[in-house]
Amino acid sequence: MTAKVRALVLTGFGLNCDLETAYALELAGAAADRVHINTLIDGGVRLEDYQIMAFGGGFSWGDDHGAGVLQAVRMRTNLGASLLSFVANQGLIIGICNGFQTLVNLGLLPGFDGDYQTRSIALTYNDCGNFRDDWVHLSIDPDSPCVFTRGMETIDLPIRHGEGKFYAEAAIIESLMQNRQVVLRYADAAGKPAEGRFPLNPNGSLGDIAGVCDPTGRIFGLMPHPEAFNHWTNHPDWTRKAETRRREGRPPFADTLTPGIRLFENAVRHIADR
Amino acid sequence: MPHRLEITLKPELIDAEGETLRRKAMDYFGIAVEGVRTVAVITIDAELTPAQLETIRTEIFTNPVTQMSSYAPLPLAFDWMVWIGYRPGVRDNPGSTAVEAIEDMLSIGLGPEDGIYTSKRYCLTGPALTAEDAEKIAGELLANDIIQQWQVTAAADWDPEVGIGVIIPKVRLDHVPTVTTLPIDSDATLREISDERNLALNPNDIPTIRKYFLDADVQQQRAAVDLADPTDLELEYISQARSDHCNHNTFQGLFHYSEPCRGHQETVDNLFKSCIQAPTLTLQKQKDWVVSVLWDNAGVGRFDDEHYYVITGETHNSPSNMEAYGGAITGIVGVYRDPMGTGRGARLLMGGYGYCVGPREYDGDLKPHLHPRRLLDGVIEGVRDGGNKSGIPTTCGQVLFNPKYLGKCLVFVTAIGLMPAEVQGEAAEKKTTSPDDLIIMCGGRVGKDGIHGVTASSEIFSENTPAGHVQIGDPYTQKKMHDFLLEARDEGLIRFITDNGGGGLSSSIGESALFSNGCEVELEKVPLKYAGLDQWEIWISESQERMTVAVRPDDLDRFMALSRKHSVESTVIGRYTDTGKLHVAYQGRNCAYVDLDLLKSGFPQWEFDAVWRSPEERGLFEPAIGRPADFGRLLLDILARPNICSREWVPRQYDHEVQGGSVIKPLVGVGRNIPSDASVIRPVLTSDAGLALAQSLLPTYSAIDAYHMIAGVIDEGLRRVLAVGGDLDHVGGVDNFCWPNIQYDPVKNPDGRFKAAQLVRACRALKDICLAYAIPLLSGKDSMYVDGNLPGRYGITHKISAPETMQFSAISRVPDVKACMSMEAKQAGDQVYLVGLTRDELGASEYYEHLGYIGLNVPRVDPEAFLPVYRALQTAIARSLTASVRGIYRGGLAVHAALVAMGGGLGLTLDLAGVPVDGDLPDDRILFSESAGRFLVTVDPARQAAFEALFEGLALARIGSVTAAPELIVNGQEGGELLKLDLEALTQAWEQTYGEMI
Repeated sequence: MTAKVRALVLTGFGLNCDLETAYALELAGAAADRVHINTLIDGGVRLEDYQIMAFGGGFSWGDDHGAGVLQAVRMRTNLGASLLSFVANQGLIIGICNGFQTLVNLGLLPGFDGDYQTRSIALTYNDCGNFRDDWVHLSIDPDSPCVFTRGMETIDLPIRHGEGKFYAEAAIIESLMQNRQVVLRYADAAGKPAEGRFPLNPNGSLGDIAGVCDPTGRIFGLMPHPEAFNHWTNHPDWTRKAETRRREGRPPFADTLTPGIRLFENAVRHIADR
Repeated sequence: MPHRLEITLKPELIDAEGETLRRKAMDYFGIAVEGVRTVAVITIDAELTPAQLETIRTEIFTNPVTQMSSYAPLPLAFDWMVWIGYRPGVRDNPGSTAVEAIEDMLSIGLGPEDGIYTSKRYCLTGPALTAEDAEKIAGELLANDIIQQWQVTAAADWDPEVGIGVIIPKVRLDHVPTVTTLPIDSDATLREISDERNLALNPNDIPTIRKYFLDADVQQQRAAVDLADPTDLELEYISQARSDHCNHNTFQGLFHYSEPCRGHQETVDNLFKSCIQAPTLTLQKQKDWVVSVLWDNAGVGRFDDEHYYVITGETHNSPSNMEAYGGAITGIVGVYRDPMGTGRGARLLMGGYGYCVGPREYDGDLKPHLHPRRLLDGVIEGVRDGGNKSGIPTTCGQVLFNPKYLGKCLVFVTAIGLMPAEVQGEAAEKKTTSPDDLIIMCGGRVGKDGIHGVTASSEIFSENTPAGHVQIGDPYTQKKMHDFLLEARDEGLIRFITDNGGGGLSSSIGESALFSNGCEVELEKVPLKYAGLDQWEIWISESQERMTVAVRPDDLDRFMALSRKHSVESTVIGRYTDTGKLHVAYQGRNCAYVDLDLLKSGFPQWEFDAVWRSPEERGLFEPAIGRPADFGRLLLDILARPNICSREWVPRQYDHEVQGGSVIKPLVGVGRNIPSDASVIRPVLTSDAGLALAQSLLPTYSAIDAYHMIAGVIDEGLRRVLAVGGDLDHVGGVDNFCWPNIQYDPVKNPDGRFKAAQLVRACRALKDICLAYAIPLLSGKDSMYVDGNLPGRYGITHKISAPETMQFSAISRVPDVKACMSMEAKQAGDQVYLVGLTRDELGASEYYEHLGYIGLNVPRVDPEAFLPVYRALQTAIARSLTASVRGIYRGGLAVHAALVAMGGGLGLTLDLAGVPVDGDLPDDRILFSESAGRFLVTVDPARQAAFEALFEGLALARIGSVTAAPELIVNGQEGGELLKLDLEALTQAWEQTYGEMI
């Protein structure tokens, strides 16, 4: 039997989705470790021992001075070189919510032309002016190189943020589109783009952009929380769906992993298969 | 030289914060602002080189994509500019993280005299804006003078070179810490000292305190440690420990209770012991899942063999009333420390809230410190930031408006945690201190903030209430500490842990030292925010985000290593002993040497006269009203009432999904906008068991009889958790009493005796109903003095007392979350059942309130009759025989039927002729009665027989069906159609009040 794919989930300094992110990775078949940012910095744990790295949700440094900004400063100052070599060694990185905000502030996204240090996209304050928790429909670009979303077309996931509005200059967005780096877009229930309509697009993101990857598809950042759709009972419609299935004589729940976990499973398989 | 950095969004980006301000200025005050741009200001009081300044500007403080910045004032156009900054000593969270980031990025350490301060300026445009408008926006929307300072500048007065100037809100005390000895030559002297120093000593306690310090043995022992008369620190310690907040003197009081109308008189000794402790101990013996109650910071129940859950609830009324945001965030972050300080420590799992405030639209003559609208905004935001930034889902909550909360608002906060059953082979719910264990303070530092919070909350609010107890919680610092302490716990390093909340070190060390029977504290070791605090201030400061931990000397190195790993400050400040003494020194000089058992002996019990007058005696009666002609309009108007209508904007701001265990969300239905009966989470992701949490409040019922208020609240909480799939055999409760002052005073509190009688009756109901339903009280708190003296017309002040209020939190273990139930109708063709009996019980109902009546027939709870019904329903849910279950609560059948229809996006047709009724009731009473014990259930026709069979002989009737046509149709008992409303009209009415709010 081959060794399990190893995933590292960052913790500390106000990060907070580490338990369920690690759980999601384990469900997806990985061996996940929750590792404090300081433990990576002091060398107690080495990034090169892992194939997947998760920048999870939370409020690192209280989100003061911009969400994900201070986490990016600390990571770049103390771990910049090892992050770049992790990327160069074809490791997979997922940044969820605060993690996505950190990835764009590190410059790991959008990663145009192999440049993983330039900040050219931003996640800024929601147009609605407030933090918002809601489930959203997302359409997935099937032609995106993103390894996390292979074989998926739509997904419902919760968003929970105050600074999730995707913003960049028009030329940057154009490049992202051309490169098929726009992985996830806010949509309606039928999968059609939200076209900015609130609350389908909950934050005013330009181009309804909810998640992007780098040109290799190995670095993926998204505002919604796939780790929070780890059981079918997380979905807001589950009681209605289960009731319908019961009446159809079917078991109330599908016997498959949830779409949220499939994102992680794609990543684990990608590593295991290569 | 200090530097001032200004940062703003590039002009092409929407300024969402500015937009919110613009909208509020119009909505709240009718002030037309055309545009608002916000400028973040960072004032750097440190010697940095130009290169360093440029590095931090570009790398830390400016997002190159969205922002622009400059060390010179940014040239933004405005007609009026409002600058807002904190007052010295107020917690500036972004200022602290900025220090952290600068030190990290530049690899430097800032000195103790250096500081980073954040502030903001708002550039308002609008040609019609006046100076008064700008002042109003500054003082009534943006800033609170308790914690903030501000400047309003007209465009003409703006110097583009100078900008706002350089304002450094640094604390400078220039004070040598001094221990003061206080004379106690007479009771009068001590009373004067108590008044001067805001000790709030009860006059009855004063002779006991003096007697102790005048005792010959005590004096001899004190002389041996160079102490004579009591020190300020000692009296502060006694004051804290004896405060009503800490000692619950009211609930432990002696009540002379009488009911003159029937010539009844009795003495009721200690409501806490008789009505809370005794029934809980009785139930603990019956229920093996009750693990730990009545002694620790929170109660503990068994979740499964490996995990216990921990629950407690608190209020933070007085601080929130003065500074809503700061009070509420401090409240939620503070209550989260209680599970952290229970047993060996628990991980936080979920939270809840309850806000009772004056009407949002209040435009009467009374002038509360904060208008209820503003107060509510601040409270909502405080709990939002406190909960969200802690990574704890806020799954449950309620907002209630009533003009009687104008005097003092209520802010309830509830915390639930999870702990392993065992830590390194030892029971995790147990803890103790032993001689030689080290006393360690972890987390934040100590400043002047929060001094006398405990004693201030034991007083009635007035404009002279000291503001020092208002703080701003720091969830970031606390989250780091939380993660650290859990790791230390799992390694078995924590022998005892408790939080520093009310009373600060005085309470946490004073109480933990009771276990080992003594302590020695070296107060100079306590890390301070700034120099110059007196010893007594260090001792009782309520500076937030601190825990006190007992650690064995052998474990110290490992404990401190983990603390460093998590970037948490921990300091050894003393050790536990078994000397029987609370011994505090500062730089070798003793400042306290008191026998710990002083607090246990000799203090007189508080006494109250409690005189009950029945509702009839008080002249209450049922209104003589006729039959409504327009049932449809009536229902729509009731749906739009502030306490019934959609308040979706509140839970939407709260992360209720973090930790990944959400099962039943706070908002459900096809539109995800209907409040669920209760929320359910899956606390252990690998398990199918869950925890259901619900909260209830029915303060209006107290206008008739607080006994029935309490009974109704408990019944509602129980029904709420049952409706989603809770287990009748495993329901725990948390009681949070908020009561007006009950001490009779002919001038200041003429109805004090009645309020005292209400408290006695309330506690009896708590005991009766909890015993009958077998609900142990896992935790609870009381907050007295919910009164305020508000100025009104002619300069007359009015005392406004809150209605006698208790929030009840019900928690239930859910055996299998996959069988959980949600409230919305699921499919057309389903049968609609009414479970339970409807009575002529509209006293203090929403219907009567709408019509301007109180009434007399308050709903009554009959556990003996209700229990078999609840048990049958639980079985039906567990067997998946129900499609939806909704309890019938405030507003009655009509309101909750409308919610079931709206939630499902389906119609309901109901025939009132089928409703099981006690006696003869007119149609409007059936629709709006608030009788307890009832549910509205929909059932698949295929499961109808099996469902009905469970209710044989019980109050159950089929009263209609679910329809595809999206209409609520109600037919009267005589057969005619009473109302027919489409879902659109229902939704519109229900959302019109606050639907625009985000």
